[in-house]
Amino acid sequence: MNGVGIGFRHPHYRELLETLPALGFLEVHSENFFGEGGAALSVLQQARAHYAVSLHGVGLALGSAAGLDPWHLERLAQLVQRIEPARVSDHACFARVAGETAGDVIHANDLLPIAFTSASLALMVEHVSRVQERLRRPILVENLSAYVSWQDDTIAETQFFNELARRSGCGMLLDLNNIVVNALNAGQEPVAMACAFVDRIDAGIVGEIHLAGFCRVVEDGGEIVIDDHGSRVHEPVWAVYRHAMKRLAQVPVLIEWDTDVPALDVLIGEARLAERHHGVRRSDAAHAAETPA
Amino acid sequence: MTTPSGGASAREAQRQQWLIAQLLGRNTAQPDDRRAWLREEEPRAERALQAYRANAGALAERALAAAYPTLAELLGDEAFGQLARAFWHAAPAPCGDMARFGADLAGFIDAGDQLRDEPYLPDLARLEWAVHRAASAADGRQEPPPLQRLMQADAAELRLLLRPGSAIVCSAHPVQAIRQAHRLPQGAERDEAFAQVRHRRAAGEGDNAFVFRNGWRVDVLPVADADARFIAATIGGSTLAAALDAGGEGFDFEAWLLRAVKRAWLDDIVQTSVPNP
Repeated sequence: MNGVGIGFRHPHYRELLETLPALGFLEVHSENFFGEGGAALSVLQQARAHYAVSLHGVGLALGSAAGLDPWHLERLAQLVQRIEPARVSDHACFARVAGETAGDVIHANDLLPIAFTSASLALMVEHVSRVQERLRRPILVENLSAYVSWQDDTIAETQFFNELARRSGCGMLLDLNNIVVNALNAGQEPVAMACAFVDRIDAGIVGEIHLAGFCRVVEDGGEIVIDDHGSRVHEPVWAVYRHAMKRLAQVPVLIEWDTDVPALDVLIGEARLAERHHGVRRSDAAHAAETPA
Repeated sequence: MTTPSGGASAREAQRQQWLIAQLLGRNTAQPDDRRAWLREEEPRAERALQAYRANAGALAERALAAAYPTLAELLGDEAFGQLARAFWHAAPAPCGDMARFGADLAGFIDAGDQLRDEPYLPDLARLEWAVHRAASAADGRQEPPPLQRLMQADAAELRLLLRPGSAIVCSAHPVQAIRQAHRLPQGAERDEAFAQVRHRRAAGEGDNAFVFRNGWRVDVLPVADADARFIAATIGGSTLAAALDAGGEGFDFEAWLLRAVKRAWLDDIVQTSVPNP
């Protein structure tokens, strides 16, 4: 499945289902549809009748040393069975740790950065494999925007993902915005750094690309760049995207916009910009081609 | 739950515990401790941790505002944001589905001092949580409930199953009326609804709020004390006979059943092999 997709968010449910714009796919956050029933699930099922769906999770916490949450995995498995998505993905992050009382678990509900160590890689391989066994399909794992890094990191991030894919059979969800954000926060030239990152990833493992906006927060005289998904895609990210398309032209691309969600036509405008650089013609991205049989 | 083995993975667990403790402010780490884990120098390390803390607080606020819209409107952005952050620190989410975060906000408000001046808030929170959970409850059976079983079996051997998500919240405060008033658009009707709320609060009147799914919508209906007792017993799993006992003398089962059928409150009627009290 190729083409450019957008996030399917609550403010656009009605308009999108009424107008059915030509899009490669729709992306949703899996956890928003974990309920047993109700309106949200019904709307997603209606959307699925017209579009391919990419289920993007934010809560599996694949790198957690405390382990996977069996309840979460079961809910995801049921959703996958219901929706028959084109792709299922989550992040290379942790969030679950043991609580203060025995048996309790805290879920930080954030995408916290795992270490790039052999132990962390082994954890990821074990957990990704378990998820894939339960879902009976490979998943994609996304690179993070990380605001801290660990003293004892020993493996380059690109090598970590190549090895994770080789050992578990998963693919990679390559978030170009996250690479640019990390470069900016590290004080590096973002386009060169991000292009080099893209070049070091095995092209065959990339199953989806994410583009998004970021913001700069200035506090106490210092600046931090936040991956807030709250604006148009910034020029450095477009530059990296154009570079990535030389090797990854057939990979589906998502415009992510999760906060201060704009009017639907603004979002579709960003998708059209991405299509101009994408390796497929617009007609190839039409939803008709993605409509389930 | 899978658990990796070996000292190396124990270090990963230690690392992850450390970072989340930093974000929750549960262990005040010494500066040396931070330098031992993180590559970032100060003040950049502190800025980064603050970014994570801010994100967690904003996420908690968004999740709770989605579940508790009336409470959020009543308290206003600043006070509700403080409540959300305090709750997140005291009772972090146990799972990765933020729609389930906030189940015990009512207990947290009840146990705290800050909102004591508004004693109806915990019950209002209980009502909003029931509505929130009902919205994503299972859709229930497509078939009509087998009413003929009411004629075929003894009430001690039957259980009525209400539609998934059904709940009853009984309060000494008019919480259903408060929620309803906040849902009205600005105008005369809303003003009148708030006047009624003030009057009922002054008179010490409470509400029994019955929460049920009406198609995709969640409705909340005030019900009489006897109906509330019957519904509570039914939702609690009592047999029909026990629920009728709970309803007491003032409870009119035939009238209730007519309304239940008309409004599709009943999901099923099942026969229990062993009567339970």
